[in-house]
Amino acid sequence: MRGFEDFNPLAAALYFAAVCGITMFCMNPVLLIVSLIGALSLFFIRNGSTHTKVHIFALLMFCAAALVNPIFSHNGVTVLFIMNNNPVTAEAFIYGVCAAGMITASFYWFYSFTQIMTSDKLLYIFGLFSPKIALILSMAIRFVPMFSRQHKRVKDAQRALGLYSDDNIIDSLKGNLRIFSVMVTWALENGIITADSMASRGYGCGRRSRFAAFSLKKRDIAFICVTVLLFLLTLIGTRGITFTCYPTVSLSSAGVFGNIGYISYTALVLLPTFIDIAEAVRWKYLISKI
Amino acid sequence: MICLIVIRNNRLRAAIKAVIPFAAVPAVAAVGSAADGGRRYIAAILAAAVLALLLFAAGYEKRQTGSRRLVIAAVMTALCVAGRFIPFFKPVTALTVITAMYLGGETGFLVGAMSAALSNIYFGQGPWTPFQMLAWGLIGLAAGYLSKYLKKSRAFLLFYGVFSGIAFSFIMDIWTVLWYSGSFNVKLYSAAIISALPHTALYAASNFLFLWFLAKPIGQKLERVRIKYGI
Repeated sequence: MRGFEDFNPLAAALYFAAVCGITMFCMNPVLLIVSLIGALSLFFIRNGSTHTKVHIFALLMFCAAALVNPIFSHNGVTVLFIMNNNPVTAEAFIYGVCAAGMITASFYWFYSFTQIMTSDKLLYIFGLFSPKIALILSMAIRFVPMFSRQHKRVKDAQRALGLYSDDNIIDSLKGNLRIFSVMVTWALENGIITADSMASRGYGCGRRSRFAAFSLKKRDIAFICVTVLLFLLTLIGTRGITFTCYPTVSLSSAGVFGNIGYISYTALVLLPTFIDIAEAVRWKYLISKI
Repeated sequence: MICLIVIRNNRLRAAIKAVIPFAAVPAVAAVGSAADGGRRYIAAILAAAVLALLLFAAGYEKRQTGSRRLVIAAVMTALCVAGRFIPFFKPVTALTVITAMYLGGETGFLVGAMSAALSNIYFGQGPWTPFQMLAWGLIGLAAGYLSKYLKKSRAFLLFYGVFSGIAFSFIMDIWTVLWYSGSFNVKLYSAAIISALPHTALYAASNFLFLWFLAKPIGQKLERVRIKYGI
């Protein structure tokens, strides 16, 4: 199955940049609602009905963010009630809800981004800019589990020697610090051995090349083109629409161009969902043929 | 970045190297914040942060670095990432500062920025990632420049740790406020700082504690490796 997450990482990163850029920087309630729907549909199609804690967190964050603005901002003409001699206005509340929607939508987009951009994909993107930094990153990624394995070994050895007990806090803290100290020395020495091994195999001689597990296929290029096109259509289409909260809430009418912009953004945010659904349908169809 | 590979004239290359960091980044920040009546401020500072990180990457890519120094940077980054899993007390800043003190500011910047990018794979990427990278990187860079004084005086080192913990929190709160309200609002900023006070205190305390306990032993180990293997 080749869903959205199997696209070239560069295409996926570009997609997230386009979608999140509009979500974060265009304060427009219609675009925000569309973005939130798109983010949620991608989240649900990838995770199903799991991750209840994440949804509760997002809901709490939304409520908190929506309520912060009317407490601190007293602009606007429609006074709802007076709190501590300060007016709480409907306009400030609406602005707070919009900001909260923006933050919640971004939260879900970035949650999916974190899920999709695994370390190998991140390495690929860093490698495009700087192979040297990508090398450091890939070594660091490899060192983390290696250190935790070695940590366990050192701990077992210390315990076998009777030098390390966890009867009381001071002893266990001292023991942990000793293990950490051993670990750092070992890690540095081991790093030097790695470096020497690299040097003796010719690291630094000749042109730098790098391994890429991802290739730019036709469908990646098509995906990038569609993303850029829809992104530009959204930007140009919604440029004329102004949304102001203070002193009164007003959203200028969209017109033909504005509606084109809204439709393009809807298509853009639902693109990964459609890709995943289409792929799932094809998969099912192929299975039923077997 | 790309034009530096093509252009062979040394004077021109030097000029470009000077112009991009001292003109292009401020220009992006200034033009971006002025454009559209100041409503795009947040986009402008995000662009400036990403540009600064790209500049560092480009500079680092061009620089000749020994493979030993490269691997030691990776080791310290991995230790930082592993350290971020310790509950409550995070040794990332302390380890970055120690690395910068003994291996120089550039490596310090690299270790700080890379640990932010890498650990966020586990802790969640977000629009804050570039700022986190920049904040930790700059703490490392500054520690590299101040290394002479940091090595000499333990009190100054501990002060630097506490200060950088507070500064990290304050810088990240600027981002929180800008992101939320689109423009800078002193009242919101002070509210954000107050609500983040427990975190700020924890950052400062963990920097203090880890620098107190780790600065000398890890410093000695790094110094030993540096002298023994000539990094």
